[in-house]
Amino acid sequence: MSARGASYEAQRRRFVRLAMAPSLLFLLLVAGLPTVFLLVTSLTPGALVNPGSLGDFSEPLRNYRLLGSDERFVGSLGVQARLSVYTVVLQVLLGTGLALLVHSGQERWQSLRHLFVIPMVLPPIVVAVIWKLIYTPDISPIYQAARMLGVTLPALTTHVDFALWSIVIADTWEWAPFTFLMVLAALQTLPAEYVEAARMDGADAWRVFGHIVLPYIAPVLLVCTLFRLIDSIKAFPLIFLLTGGGPGSVTEVTNYYAYLVAFNFGELGYSSAITVVLLAATVLISWGAMRVSRHAGGAE
Amino acid sequence: MSLLHSLAVDTQRRRLIKAAAATAVAGAGTALAFPAIAQAKPFAGLKLRGAAYQHGFFNILRKYIPEFEQQTGMTVDLQLSAFPVYNQQADLELSSGGSAWDFCNVTFILAARWVAAGLLANLSDFAADRRLTPASWNPDDFVKGAQLPYLDKAGKAYGFAWEGGAMLMGMSRTDLMKKRGVEAPQTFDELMKVCEAVHGQDGVTGFVSSNLHHWFLPPYIHGFGGDLFANPPADIKPTLDSAAAVQATAFYSTLLSKYSPQGVLGYTEDQARAALIGGRSNIFIHSSSWVTAMLSSPESKVKDTARVVRMPAGPKGDFPAANSQGLGIPKNAKNKEAAWEFIKWALSPELTARIVKDTGHPSICRRSVIESAEYKRINTINGQDIGKLYLEVLEQPGKTRNYMAYRTVKEFPLVGDVLNKAVERVVSGQAPAADAMKTAQEAALGSLRRAGAKV
Repeated sequence: MSARGASYEAQRRRFVRLAMAPSLLFLLLVAGLPTVFLLVTSLTPGALVNPGSLGDFSEPLRNYRLLGSDERFVGSLGVQARLSVYTVVLQVLLGTGLALLVHSGQERWQSLRHLFVIPMVLPPIVVAVIWKLIYTPDISPIYQAARMLGVTLPALTTHVDFALWSIVIADTWEWAPFTFLMVLAALQTLPAEYVEAARMDGADAWRVFGHIVLPYIAPVLLVCTLFRLIDSIKAFPLIFLLTGGGPGSVTEVTNYYAYLVAFNFGELGYSSAITVVLLAATVLISWGAMRVSRHAGGAE
Repeated sequence: MSLLHSLAVDTQRRRLIKAAAATAVAGAGTALAFPAIAQAKPFAGLKLRGAAYQHGFFNILRKYIPEFEQQTGMTVDLQLSAFPVYNQQADLELSSGGSAWDFCNVTFILAARWVAAGLLANLSDFAADRRLTPASWNPDDFVKGAQLPYLDKAGKAYGFAWEGGAMLMGMSRTDLMKKRGVEAPQTFDELMKVCEAVHGQDGVTGFVSSNLHHWFLPPYIHGFGGDLFANPPADIKPTLDSAAAVQATAFYSTLLSKYSPQGVLGYTEDQARAALIGGRSNIFIHSSSWVTAMLSSPESKVKDTARVVRMPAGPKGDFPAANSQGLGIPKNAKNKEAAWEFIKWALSPELTARIVKDTGHPSICRRSVIESAEYKRINTINGQDIGKLYLEVLEQPGKTRNYMAYRTVKEFPLVGDVLNKAVERVVSGQAPAADAMKTAQEAALGSLRRAGAKV
C-alpha cells in the first residue's frame, strides 16, 4: 500500500471512530454506568434500611459466597432452566407449524395470519391479565363451561403439577407469533423452483419439508431459538401476576427472586449479586448465540 | 343662635374626636392585627409534599384539605400510589435520606424497619411541645394497640395511627349454619366443625382467605401457644418449627385445602371479600373493614344473613391480630414543623369526629371518638355493635403481652415470606406441615443471618 493510501486509510479510521464516538458514549451512559453500579452494589451488604451499608466494601465477595448455599437461588435457576426449555421448544414448534400452514397457500389460513400476531404486540401486563382471567376458576369462562359439563378442572396456577405449565402456555401464546413471523418471512423467500423440481422428481410433502424447506429455514429457526432463549430469562409479568412464584417456589425464576430480595426484603446488595449472575448467564448465552449464528451464516 | 352654633360646633368636635379616636383604634388595631395574623399563619405560602398509598381515608381527607389550606395558608400536595408501589417508593426515599416528602404514610409492615433504622422524625417531641401542640390534642387518646408499631424501645412515637385493622370473623350464611345446626364458633375446634357442616351446602364453601398467610396464620400460632420468634423484638430467633407453629400451620392449611374455594392459594384480598359478600364462602377472618363489607357494602348479597363476631380463640388463648397505618415525618424532611401541623390537623379529635359523622368511616384510632355515642350509632349495623368489637381487638395487644410484637421486628418481611411459602407447600400437597415448617425455620435462619441479624 502506498504512503498516500495508508494516510487515507488512517483518516478513514479516524473518521469512523469520531462518527461512532457519540453513540458509544451514549451507550456507555445508558447501559454501562448502571451495569457498573450494579456490579459495585453487589460487592456490598447494601440494605435499604441501612443506608451506610451501600458503601461497605469490607467483605466484597460475601454475597457471591452466600449464593452457592442459598437453596432458593439454586432452585430458581432450575425453575428458570425448565421454563426456558419448555417455552422455547413449544414456541419454535408452534410458530413454525403456523407459518407452514399459512404459507401452504390455503385461503382460510392466510386470512388469519394477522390474528396470529396480536398476542405479540400486546403489552406483557395485558397478556398477564388476560391469562389471569382465564386461569381464575371463579370467573373463567373455561372453568364455567367445564362445570356445566360436570367436569372439575384443577386450579392451574396454584396446582403444584400445573403451575409452571400455566406460565409456559401463556408465554407460548404470547411469543409463538415471533417465530411465526420470522419463519413465514423466510418461507416467502424460498425459491419455488426448488420445491417444484423436487416434486417433479417424485418427492412427497415430508421429503420436500425435510430436504428443502427445513434446511432453508434452519438459520432462521436457530436465530428464533436463541432470541427466545435470551428473552425467556426475562420472564416476569406473567409470574408476578399469575403465580407470584408459587405455590411454594414452583414457579420462582431467578429474576423474580432477585425482585423479591430487593423490594420485599430490602437487600439491594444481595439482589445485585443475583442479578450480576443472571446478567453473566445472559451475556454468555448471547455470545454463544452470535457465534452459532455466524457459523450458521457461514455454512449457508 | 350662638348657643345653637356652639352646640353644633360642640357636636362636630365630638364627632371629630370620636372619628379620630376610632381611626386611631382601627389603625392601631390593624398594626397590631397584622403580626397576629402573620403569627397565626407562620407557614403561609409553603407547599407541603406528602405521600401515601391509595386508601379510602385519603380520598375522604382530600375533601377536607382545602379547609386546612385556608387555615394555614399552605398548599398540600398529596401523592397517592398503589400499596406495593408506595412501599417501594417509600423504602427507597427514606433509606436514601431523601427530602422530597414532608410527611408520609408509615406502613405497618415496614414501620419497625423504618423506626429501628432512624428514618423517621420523633413525633413525641412535637406532641409534647406546647408551643406546637395544644394539650387537647392528647397523643394518649390513640388506642395503645394501634400505636405499638410506631414506638421505639424508649416509647417515643414516630408515627400516629390514622387507620386501625382489627381481625374479626365474618360469617355470610348464618341461615345455612342454622339449618345445619351450628352456632358461631368460639374455639378453633368449633371453627373446623362449622366449616365441615357448611362446606358444599348450597354451593357455599366453608371458609375463604387470601394469599397473605403471614397475616392470617400467626393468630393460630399464638392460639396454639407459639410465636414466630423466641421473644420479639429482643430475641428474634425464629420458632417456626415449634410444635405449636406446626399444629397451627396444619390447622390453617386444612381450612384452606378442605373448606376453601378452588385456587384459594392465588386469592387476593379482593377475591376473598367478593366470595364473602357474594355468599359463595361462609367464613372470612380478616381486618374489620374487609369483613364488615358484608353488612355495609351495596354489592353485598348477604346483608340479611351476615354476622360479624370475634375470631375464635385457640386452646392457649385469644390472640386476634391487630394492625394500623400511621402518618409520620421523614427524618430529613425540609418542613418538619409544617408537616406536624398537617398531621396534627388530620388526626385531631375534632376532624376525626367530623369524618366519622360525615362519612361513617369506621377504622379510626382515636379512643374518645370510638367511644362516642355518634360512632356507636353509625357503627351499629343490623343490631351489631361493630365499633365495640373493633376497639376490643385493637386494644388486645396493648392489654395482654404484646403478641403483635413479631410484626415490629424489622426483619419480619423475610420471615413472613418464608411463612407464605410454607403454607403454600402444605396446601398444595408438596410437604406435610412439620416438614414445611422445618424447612421454613432453616430458610428463615439463613435469610436472617444473611441480613446480618444475630440469630
